[in-house]
Amino acid sequence: MKIGVLCSRVRLEEKLIFQALRERGVGFERVDVRQVIFDLNDVQLGDYNVVLMRCLSHSCALYAAKILGERGVRTVNSHKIIATCGDKILTTLALLEHGVPTPRTVIAFDKESALVAIEEMGYPVVLKPPVGSWGRLMAKLNDRQAAEAVIEHKQALDKSQHAPFYIQDYIHKPGRDIRTLVVGDETVYAIYRNSSHWITNTARGGRASNRPITPEIDCLSRAAAMAVGGGIVAVDILEAPDGRLLVSEVNHTPEFHGAFKATGIDIAGKMVDYILWSAESPILHLRRRETSASSVEPSSHSTIQGRER
Amino acid sequence: MRMGILCSRLRVEEKLLFEALRKRETDYEKIDDRQIALGLAEGSLGGYDVVLIRCLSHSHALYAAKVLNSHGVRTVNTYDVIAACGDKLLTTLALAKNGVPTLHTMVAFTPESALAAIEEMGYPVVLKPLHGSWGRLLAKINDRDAAEAILEHKHTLGGYQHSIFYIQEYIEKPGRDVRSFVVGDETVAAIYRNSSHWITNTARGAKASNCPITPEIDRISCAAAQAVGGGVVAIDILEAPDGRLLVSEVNHTPEFRNSIAPTGVDIPGKMIDYVLEVAAMKSGR
Repeated sequence: MKIGVLCSRVRLEEKLIFQALRERGVGFERVDVRQVIFDLNDVQLGDYNVVLMRCLSHSCALYAAKILGERGVRTVNSHKIIATCGDKILTTLALLEHGVPTPRTVIAFDKESALVAIEEMGYPVVLKPPVGSWGRLMAKLNDRQAAEAVIEHKQALDKSQHAPFYIQDYIHKPGRDIRTLVVGDETVYAIYRNSSHWITNTARGGRASNRPITPEIDCLSRAAAMAVGGGIVAVDILEAPDGRLLVSEVNHTPEFHGAFKATGIDIAGKMVDYILWSAESPILHLRRRETSASSVEPSSHSTIQGRER
Repeated sequence: MRMGILCSRLRVEEKLLFEALRKRETDYEKIDDRQIALGLAEGSLGGYDVVLIRCLSHSHALYAAKVLNSHGVRTVNTYDVIAACGDKLLTTLALAKNGVPTLHTMVAFTPESALAAIEEMGYPVVLKPLHGSWGRLLAKINDRDAAEAILEHKHTLGGYQHSIFYIQEYIEKPGRDVRSFVVGDETVAAIYRNSSHWITNTARGAKASNCPITPEIDRISCAAAQAVGGGVVAIDILEAPDGRLLVSEVNHTPEFRNSIAPTGVDIPGKMIDYVLEVAAMKSGR
């Protein structure tokens, strides 16, 4: 059994995961993504049973999982899950395709059409960067002047990326939202994130408190996780004034130290048990070329089939 | 039959495509990507049998195709093709996985590991942004001083795009490269792009001349197109000094205005015939 943990800066979460691995007597290799070099022409099968992706940067996680996946290495999460969760447009489409309730969302490609779409939806609306975390650059727009100003600033920021405008109905939530963690097919915990600010990320000052996992929360969380492809994901749920629960986002590399304190649940242990389980289950879905010869010999200090300096 | 063409600013290419449609007396609707808003739940552009994607911006093409495809609307190209071609890392992976000859390429995530990869590969190397067209921000690096300077500038530029370092061996090509056009499973035309500069994009001043479609060029072009998922694509091929042909890039929304005269091939006509074929298919993409 060979397990890799691909990470960058080691946060409390990663320390808890390493500890859970050691408690189970499982050997693992910690690989710093900042030191890895991947050779794209190297299509040999990788020799890890599973690699846990804990990179800070979404794009590192995304590409590393893609490269590893092409070599037949299972990653948790998979490239597909990381791609879907890392892009809010793809997340919303996945939720809708699977009938998971989510706030109404429109995308537009131009500042004029974005403004039309916003006015049509009616204020307040939320503008979110399709790719981004920790509540960064999320804007709640209450009127046309705000919309005009934020759109202009977004365009000034946009470095030729032409990211679409992601426009979402603002849900008047009761000073909190709900975050749950799904590991495989189990909802492991649920917390409230309480905040007087509409952005409730704990990284932005939201306070975590335990929330019982009701059947409704459990069902919705697992449905959202299945919609993006399973794995280990955190699901953000909004309580609408009419009582409906709506999934707003799904996160592929969740932080959980706040939830660990609030719930007392051994989250890292649950995650590690899932990784061990998935390391042992057969890979059925991978198409491989047996014939491709690689010109590159794996070096002696080969790690994750990339090379670490 | 309802056909849409999603575009932004109209280039010569789009005008030629409209002309080809009119010649075939096919109705079409021009959709300006700057004027649409796509409801993700309703996929507001429904009702088309096929949409030809001709957006200037890769990101617009990518997301529009995704929304349309997820609501069952066929697009040329499909989301998967646009995604694979629009990202050089994904293109290289697709080529390597399918055994299509391509350049030696390495990827690193920090300037420090990128420098190590460059030194390991040996100079000269080419650094490319993962997304981008028209030869923008391509850097040929001949020595360590240049490497250090470019890496620092990329790092300072910041953002998603410049934090993934895509490092490719430099091929000493004979003052030209080959661009071929694949429509469906046919290589319809190929040009040489002649330039004294190592960047041979016609947008950067390269001169186009006809390139005979040898069996070898046909084979590698079709293989590259299949590797990214088919459709209508343009393949950039380099001739290595030892005679090998190597695919460097695949483009999902090719410009072709400078390729019609030297080749004498009605490229827009071939494209439209293919789009009509896709529209006529009963199901599947």
